[in-house]
Amino acid sequence: MPSWLKMIKELTIRPKVQQIRKPPEYSFDEDMNKTLSGQTVKEILSKSSDVVFREFFLQGKERIPCMLTAVDGLVDKNQLDFFVLKTLMVDLAGHPEMAQLTIANVVDKTLQSILPGLEFRKVSKMGEAINAILSGDAVIFFGESKEALVFGARGWANSGINEPVAESVIKGPHEGFTETLRINTSMLRRKIKHPSLRLISLKVGDLTNTDLVVAYMDKIASPDIVSEVLRRVSRIKMDGVLGNGYIEEMIEDFPYSPFPQIAYTERPDVLAGKLLEGKVGIILDGTPIVLVVPAILTQFLNVNEDYYQRAMTAILFRFVRYVGAMVAVLAPSVYIAVTTFHQEIIPTDLLMSISAGRQGVPFPALLEALIMTVVLEILQEAGLRLPKPIGQTIGIVGALIMGDAAVKASLVSPLMVIVIGITAVASYAIPYYDLSLAVRLTRFPLMILAGVLGFFGVSVGLYAGLIHLLSLRSFGVPYTSPFAPLRIRALLQDTLVRAPWWAMKRRPQLLDVDEPKSGGKGKG
Amino acid sequence: MGGTFLPLATFVTAAGGRDGWMTVLPGLVVAIPYGLMILSLLSKYPQKNLLQISERLFGKWVGKIIGVIYMIISGYYGGLMLAVIGQIFEQSIIALTPRWVFYLGGLMLVFYLAENGIEVFARFSEVVFPLIVIAMVLNIGLSIQRIEPGELMPILSEGLKPLIFGVLKVIPFPMEYILFLAGIIKFLPSGKQALVHLKVEVWRTVFLVGILDMLVVLIQILVFGPQETVRLSFGLLVLGKMVEISRTIAGVESLFMMVWLGALVIKSCAFFFMTTWALETVLNLKGLKWRVAVSVIFLGIAFGFLRGTSLTKEASIVESYLILPFAFVWIPTLWGAARWKCETNVR
Repeated sequence: MPSWLKMIKELTIRPKVQQIRKPPEYSFDEDMNKTLSGQTVKEILSKSSDVVFREFFLQGKERIPCMLTAVDGLVDKNQLDFFVLKTLMVDLAGHPEMAQLTIANVVDKTLQSILPGLEFRKVSKMGEAINAILSGDAVIFFGESKEALVFGARGWANSGINEPVAESVIKGPHEGFTETLRINTSMLRRKIKHPSLRLISLKVGDLTNTDLVVAYMDKIASPDIVSEVLRRVSRIKMDGVLGNGYIEEMIEDFPYSPFPQIAYTERPDVLAGKLLEGKVGIILDGTPIVLVVPAILTQFLNVNEDYYQRAMTAILFRFVRYVGAMVAVLAPSVYIAVTTFHQEIIPTDLLMSISAGRQGVPFPALLEALIMTVVLEILQEAGLRLPKPIGQTIGIVGALIMGDAAVKASLVSPLMVIVIGITAVASYAIPYYDLSLAVRLTRFPLMILAGVLGFFGVSVGLYAGLIHLLSLRSFGVPYTSPFAPLRIRALLQDTLVRAPWWAMKRRPQLLDVDEPKSGGKGKG
Repeated sequence: MGGTFLPLATFVTAAGGRDGWMTVLPGLVVAIPYGLMILSLLSKYPQKNLLQISERLFGKWVGKIIGVIYMIISGYYGGLMLAVIGQIFEQSIIALTPRWVFYLGGLMLVFYLAENGIEVFARFSEVVFPLIVIAMVLNIGLSIQRIEPGELMPILSEGLKPLIFGVLKVIPFPMEYILFLAGIIKFLPSGKQALVHLKVEVWRTVFLVGILDMLVVLIQILVFGPQETVRLSFGLLVLGKMVEISRTIAGVESLFMMVWLGALVIKSCAFFFMTTWALETVLNLKGLKWRVAVSVIFLGIAFGFLRGTSLTKEASIVESYLILPFAFVWIPTLWGAARWKCETNVR
């Protein structure tokens, strides 16, 4: 096979076993089973300036050299000083328990009767000790002992709990996830105080060793989906996992589809709600965004505010969002098809007005729409990356001043500006940014098809899109559910309609699994 | 349902006159015993299509001959359905675009749908079917103002004989559905509960489609009169063109055409599947290259009907002289043979 073909194949075909990169030269796995030695750990970590080694002696039956190792900035120094160093070196110096310490029993004795605190555990493998240190725990090595003590004293600066900007609500909790995994799991635990909430810890990234937690409700989530999530996450082989996007691309079913197949949230209440529906959450350390699987298309058009408002209001807003999504996809292509091929649809008065507006415009409707849409995309992209005040200015300058100037210069017709404006506003009605991006992407081929073949082209494009959507699955769940396969109850309970809470007696039918006899989204 | 409702009015009115609408439901009801026979075979031979069952019951060579006939009929008729896509778009809303462009567009959808498998095809039908029903109801409802009740009178003026001819003209349409069912049963569940559900669905489908098709024919006779209904190949398209609300919304047949395209894609794709199943069963040919070959054949057949009105005539000939007799004889014979072998315990 020629090398260029090999390169294309590598870039386009995702291997079944997700071995994307070669394993790093140095792997903790190699050390994982080596016998523990404080000196070796020091040799490995001493080149990092943020790792501190505090050496001291314990006076027991014999004099035992000790070494406390931790990463500066990741541990709570006060806890280390108070619970470890002060206890061992000052408070218990000369205590009868201390007098019995030898190198052979020092770890067990210290753990059982000397050091107070919940978060002490014993390790005996090199890799475990190194992982613990780099994850923010402190490790105490005792001379030549083959065991060490890990003290969970994690305490680093974090951004605090704030309301997520992208998912703000008027009537609902105003707290969002943070970048710290443990804070996030604690927020979730505060929402669901039930033993069925399972949090399974994993590590991803060969070099970053990022902590990841898979959260689900036992006996509610499908065991097949849970095991599939665990299987896919544990197969990830990468040097580093620095954000949820890495995980998303590695575990989704159809990586080349523009449509998002994994939902996300920054809100603990949303995650709790999804877990209660039987979904599975993937919480990654270092990001406030939690992934939720499986995802279906309609889920990306619902917002959490729906569940806090009255049912009738929620239904109205859902309807508005569905219409908005349709307009965002179709408005420019329908305009092009109608003005180019199917003028008979337009009422005569409007036709005259359109015709007058287009007088002097040198471009066909297709080109006009493409130019306007590309300009809109540029404006959106420019506004997004700039600081907020400048971004707003860009919007005003771009949309108002340039639009007006373009119409006056007869570069575009006024109606085209209106159509593109409506399209832009409608796309903002789509609550999930990922779906909004997919809609923006699908708009272009539809416009071209409309310009070339009118409504036939639009139909071909829409049906092709529909077939694509119908072929998608997210962790085994059909993406277009509950429309196809049709699930009337799900459709009327929490899709097109948001039923009142007292009517949501059962969980959404996502899979062909047995429904729980009691319990549901609304009622226990 | 496919695209049956598009040419149906022309055929039944030609045979049954102004009473032709009465023949639609009785004609479609014929599908019920055939459907039940197929489901009975499914319970005896789970996960096998009727071609495989034929090979087992009639012997290898007779079974293969039946398979070849099935393949030829479905391949040829599928190609004709693809050609219908081109014809209706050229005749109605985009007259200046060459017909082959529509063929290619239609084939692309059919191929893409078939490539995604029978499950996606089923879901596609599940989504498009309500759209077809809504479009038909809108067509019927918005044409009520143009009705001339006198067109139906006098009822049964020519006796019952035209009705019998009308029913004979309708029967080929459910037979298309039955032939598709003959192939798809391989993928259907054969448990007791599933079979009961499937039987109910056969009844429900026939009556739902029958009533809608009957209303479509009725409204065309009422609006155009029997003679004009016979003259118009696709009266429903003209009906769509005539829709007008408060002199503001008019000429919306383009929107209806979007839905009819979906219906024709379903029908053409169903025959595409039938052809590929037959290829696989009879000649053991499967895979992408053979599906591409079927696409090329479909396109070739459609290209044979680039101009003129012979397409409708050709489709009618295939329905009346190939699909009807083949399905009419094959399925009861197979069902009878299965029962006889079961009762006499012949292996």
